[in-house]
Amino acid sequence: MLLLIENLTKVYRGGFRKEGTVANDGICFSVAAGEIVGLLGHNGAGKTTLVNQIAGIAKPTSGTVRLSGRDVVADPDFARQECAFMPQAQARFDGVTPRQAIEVIARIRGAGRAAARARADELIEALDIGHWAKTSGERLSGGVRRLTSFAMAAAVPGRLMILDEPTNDVDPVRRRRLWEQVRMLGMTGCGVLLVTHNVVEAERSVDRLVILDKGRVVAEGTSADLRMGSAGLRLEVTLSLGALAPDSPGWVESSPLRQGQRWTVSLAQESAAAALEWAQGLRKAGHIEEFSLTPTSLEDAYVRIVDAGIPAEVERLAPRGDQHV
Amino acid sequence: MSRWWRSYRLLLLWRVLRIKAELPMFVILQTAFSVGIIFGFSYLLPPEATHPDFLMYLATGSITMSIITIGMVIAPQGIATGKQDGTLDYDKTLPVPRMAIMMADVSIWSLASLPGLVAAFVLAGLRLDISFQVSPLLLPAILLVMLASTAVGFGLAYAFKPMVTLMVTQLLVFFILMFSPVNFPADRLPEWLQAVHRALPIEPMAEIIRTTLSVPAGGVSPTPFLLVGVWCVLGLVITYRVMARRV
Repeated sequence: MLLLIENLTKVYRGGFRKEGTVANDGICFSVAAGEIVGLLGHNGAGKTTLVNQIAGIAKPTSGTVRLSGRDVVADPDFARQECAFMPQAQARFDGVTPRQAIEVIARIRGAGRAAARARADELIEALDIGHWAKTSGERLSGGVRRLTSFAMAAAVPGRLMILDEPTNDVDPVRRRRLWEQVRMLGMTGCGVLLVTHNVVEAERSVDRLVILDKGRVVAEGTSADLRMGSAGLRLEVTLSLGALAPDSPGWVESSPLRQGQRWTVSLAQESAAAALEWAQGLRKAGHIEEFSLTPTSLEDAYVRIVDAGIPAEVERLAPRGDQHV
Repeated sequence: MSRWWRSYRLLLLWRVLRIKAELPMFVILQTAFSVGIIFGFSYLLPPEATHPDFLMYLATGSITMSIITIGMVIAPQGIATGKQDGTLDYDKTLPVPRMAIMMADVSIWSLASLPGLVAAFVLAGLRLDISFQVSPLLLPAILLVMLASTAVGFGLAYAFKPMVTLMVTQLLVFFILMFSPVNFPADRLPEWLQAVHRALPIEPMAEIIRTTLSVPAGGVSPTPFLLVGVWCVLGLVITYRVMARRV
């Protein structure tokens, strides 16, 4: 196994009149070589604390982090050599062009001068940022900075790449280019740990997901595994202007969620015909503008897991995490 | 080429690229300080009171100030900003020895004071019309004061939170300019303040620069070199311990 984390706990000591904070609580999971693993969780779930410990810049209170079999808690220098890290904070390279930044960091990470230049050319072309390759950092948009920051890590990716919110501010076309690069790195055997809030994007890009909540692993599995614990279908209706929310019919399996004019419930597959008939009736009567009936998304499953407790099915999918639930 | 040296060299290149846009601002700031000391301070006293010894204090003091301003004020402010914007954390993820990161930072901030230092020399020579009696120890003296003031500035920046660092450095520049025996002899200060300065590195820094530019009859004393050296090591030790610590 490329990365193996066992019972990792991180407690930040409290100060005067301030209690300590448990940022990570008995975390266990792994990343295989060539695997792309998404780390999902709300703000404050403990994701950044976790990756800082893997990258050798923070020290766990207890537990182990093994990279290629080596204990990186005892040998953080090894972690820094083997992990390429793209931090969440916007990289600051005022006065430095993207080409210079990618080349210098590639050389610091061990590449020779010619290899660094060739790799910078390759990434600039692949991410389509050639137009800004010679523009000074302070004049770049947030998206181009983010892509440059990704290229700085991907230039010499090591055995494990840690990407913390890599696509924030990036336009949809270049996002696809970035994900293509991530997949190519995976194909060359590089493990990728992707930290994100963006559930939809994670679903499309990763092989496996680990969901963190309040410092614990609450679910782990493929996107299909995680969705299995959900009711099956999702009915979303758009209420007509001024219309009241409808009463929930008997086949509804979740509390309705109301966001503006949108009203959403989940239901079992067997109730699809009844739900269609009910929604068509509401539309004919003018109570709703439109409706859609779709399979439950990973986002629904994620929200349910984190906000409404963990159902037995999903808990079972987290063989290492279930003991902490 | 050893890993340490390669890391140091490339980190230095990375810093030069990042700092070069700000370099003109440093030169302007340092030159402004020198102008303030050389021109402004001489206006404070009537012309008949401008004894050659006092002029020598102003000339050498303006040079010391131009170094200290970068090392103890601008450099720690740069570190405080780097702490806030994540630049320091990013550098910590790079596969380089921690000591190489620190030495690259210390080197670049020390070197950043060079252009302003030259400006201070030129201004002092032009305005005050004094002749320096330069010691061969001048170059090592300048390098030591550069390194030590940056090391002490870094020690402050790493030990304190960014906001505190910004405030402390503002206070420090005021204290050094008005209440430190840099631009005037120590015996003009009250005794208790003289005692405070005997424990601080500012007075020996000024003395090193003054006595290597205008060698006294008894020759250049090694004591201030030793004191500044001790402060330099102390600053580097604090910086390294805080920087290399994994929290």
